[in-house]
Amino acid sequence: MLSSIERRVSATLRDVRGTAARRFFVDRQTGLWRSELAWLGVRSRDHARVTAVLDETPDTRTLVLEPPRGWVPHQPGQWTRVEIELAGVRTSRCYSLSSAPHDPELRLTIKRVPNGRVSGRLHALRVGDSLRLSPAEGEFVLPATPGPLLLLSGGSGITPMRAMWRTLQERDAADAVIVHHARTRADVIFAAELEQLARRRGFVVVVRLDDDPRGRVGFDEVALRAAVPDLAERETFVCGPPAMMQRVEAMGLARLHVERFTAAPRPPRALDVRAASEGAPQGVSLRIQGREGGRALSVRTDGTLLDQLEAAGERPASGCRMGLCRTCSCLKRSGTVRHAISGAISDAPDEIIQLCVSVPCTDVELGPVVRTPSDRRTNEVDERVKVHAHTPVKKVPR
Amino acid sequence: METRSIETVDQATGASADRAPRPSAGRTSRRLSRDEADALGRELDAIRAEVLADLGERDAAHIRAVMKASGAAAIAGRTLLHFGVDPVTFALGTGALGLAKILENMEIGHNVMHGQYDWTGDPALRGETYEWDIVCPGDDWRRSHNYEHHTFTNILGRDRDIGYEFLRVADEQPWEPRHLAQPLTALVLAVFFEWGVGMHELRVAETTRGEQSLAELWRRSGPFLAKSGWQIAKDYLVFPLLAGPNAPRVLAGNALANVARNLWAFSVIFCGHFPEGVRVYTEQETNGESRGEWYVRQINGSANLEGSRWMHLMTGHLSHQIEHHLFPDLPAARYPEIAPRVRAICERYGQRYSSGSLATQLADVAKRIVRLSWPRRRDLEANGSALARLLARVA
Ligand SMILES: Cc1cc2nc3c(=O)[nH]c(=O)nc-3n(C[C@H](O)[C@H](O)[C@H](O)COP(=O)(O)OP(=O)(O)OC[C@H]3O[C@@H](n4cnc5c(N)ncnc54)[C@H](O)[C@@H]3O)c2cc1C
Ligand code: FES
Repeated sequence: MLSSIERRVSATLRDVRGTAARRFFVDRQTGLWRSELAWLGVRSRDHARVTAVLDETPDTRTLVLEPPRGWVPHQPGQWTRVEIELAGVRTSRCYSLSSAPHDPELRLTIKRVPNGRVSGRLHALRVGDSLRLSPAEGEFVLPATPGPLLLLSGGSGITPMRAMWRTLQERDAADAVIVHHARTRADVIFAAELEQLARRRGFVVVVRLDDDPRGRVGFDEVALRAAVPDLAERETFVCGPPAMMQRVEAMGLARLHVERFTAAPRPPRALDVRAASEGAPQGVSLRIQGREGGRALSVRTDGTLLDQLEAAGERPASGCRMGLCRTCSCLKRSGTVRHAISGAISDAPDEIIQLCVSVPCTDVELGPVVRTPSDRRTNEVDERVKVHAHTPVKKVPR
Repeated sequence: METRSIETVDQATGASADRAPRPSAGRTSRRLSRDEADALGRELDAIRAEVLADLGERDAAHIRAVMKASGAAAIAGRTLLHFGVDPVTFALGTGALGLAKILENMEIGHNVMHGQYDWTGDPALRGETYEWDIVCPGDDWRRSHNYEHHTFTNILGRDRDIGYEFLRVADEQPWEPRHLAQPLTALVLAVFFEWGVGMHELRVAETTRGEQSLAELWRRSGPFLAKSGWQIAKDYLVFPLLAGPNAPRVLAGNALANVARNLWAFSVIFCGHFPEGVRVYTEQETNGESRGEWYVRQINGSANLEGSRWMHLMTGHLSHQIEHHLFPDLPAARYPEIAPRVRAICERYGQRYSSGSLATQLADVAKRIVRLSWPRRRDLEANGSALARLLARVA
């Protein structure tokens, strides 16, 4: 009832020209009053509510969640971006869904990483708390009509596998070998479920422990081939620690799907940011996303992005040119930039930066750059204001 | 070494030699060399860096609490207006709605649109897209206020906020016969302040002077007409109609709430920039100024209001106009915390830190508007219109 009214209202608002109106009347208010609405039993559109917390191992917990309103069922193996607020700042991390699409609830199984900011906070959640979930995505998914499978995992890499085997369990003819690696018996996530699964027709379960005196520590190709003689005939899904994944990839398996829990390291060109900002200026590359594939330029580490973009013939929107007005705000996809005045470093992906006070330290990739509307007199380059951003501000004394 | 300096209030303006020193509230500022100004700037930069590093949960919680308070006041106010029949609920409802609008415009809208909460990553708190409950379109405001006013603060000819192009609030602005009526104009502006703010970017005055084409005026009108249309439809059509027989009551309540907000916003903003002693600059003297000198100009171009914590909140912390002009993108609720340190720095560098109660600053502004409405002999000679010649003869 409520959702149909809201749908009608929001459709009307869209018709009457109003993303602004929608933002103003609907999104902002529902966001603000989310906890009160939850209390009244109204589910939120982008927040999932914790309905149970299960301890899997000493350092791993499963959050059982009531899905957000309008949640589109995921495919087994996909992940969602979990967003929480850390010290007032929205922070997100990816987590594979460990529940199957047909399960009534969503599950995330989270290993607490030492000093991990998000995983630590997620472990502190209690029943009734809520967290923001993005729609599920990912290519690491169970085929619609799976043939013989190998699900190969290490540590917390078992999470997408659970979604897959639970989906297979629903079907008649499953043929899956599950090989899982863990440090000790106590560290096996979903241990009870694996035991049950081992007794079911169509499933072979092999659990390898690092502290097993008979076996070798960690992943081993020979042992894998011994445990799965028909390895070549199987479609393989692998998710685990980087070292294990590397070795599996080197085995040259035919139909291999991999999921990486930590982004593969991609070292930036100028590694030492301090050296880049204080030493001799270097040339780095700047990519701008745009309609026709964007543009790549070469820029230097001793000038602001705004100046250098203008020098290259771009016309990014700008105003004060001293970091005040945010006319020049732009999404930085990747790379490191330094604030020309405060010296603050922005190195995380997908951060909003101000072009007029951002000096590149490494190769930088920008999202689409808002252009100067040609008829705006506010965007004449004003030589006078330029001074502000460039007055050298050395070390800030404390 | 660079020796250009920021001059004191009375020496600053080119034409001041033949004029008696004008009365100013309190001391005037010492002239600073560029090096001194830059040293002052570095101290302010340090405060800024410290606050930035300390931003966190409490700032996000503060703004959300204010948003909820404003939302709750709006709901309460509208409910009382819609369903009440007696004058008491009318007064309460109007008051609550006015309060909601004041909080939304001043502490939430103005501050969020400065990007003060962009660091939270919350789309509802994003400066670039926030839209406020007033007839002025957010995008126009971001351009005219965040960029022009805050960059060119109190520079004649560049800061169109000096008297909003139709009031004479500084001696340096040339007198014109229409300024005779400005005490009245100012009152009208106060009552209809949101319309003044909303039409600011249309540049009507420039169009009448022939500096802007009618086509450009029309183009600029688009967003304003759309936004004000929405606002009128909301406050004067949809909500009254929803109230059925109570429509006149709701309409009157909404209008009064809007006017209450207008009067309040007008007072706060005029007190922040136009009390006696706050100075204006010419374009030449700010040419090539350094970041430190920009800071000095912000200090000398703004004035603070003193009051309780609630007063500060109701002004959107623009009662700390000086701190706001130094750090427009720091969450405004932090200004009271850093104000004593800013004040101490100003004292050390001999800079005037204008501050007073709302009543004294408002009286000051009123005096200034009345005083400047009346021409001096020099102004009459300079103006040369028929009316000016007549006045000169009479005098
Ligand atoms: C597609 C995808 C799916 C994922 N699914 C899951 C899942 O189902 N369950 C799960 O627990 N995690 C999963 N992750 C990992 C998760 O997104 C976080 O990286 C992890 O929880 C650590 O985040 P944090 O904020 O706690 O640590 P941070 O504060 O970001 O990092 C703290 C320290 O730990 C190190 N670190 C970060 N991640 C790891 C790691 N995985 N192993 C060892 N050290 C690390 C960092 O380098 C840093 O030194 C997935 C990641 C991706 C990309
Ligand atoms: S141009 Fe104003 S913040 Fe960059």
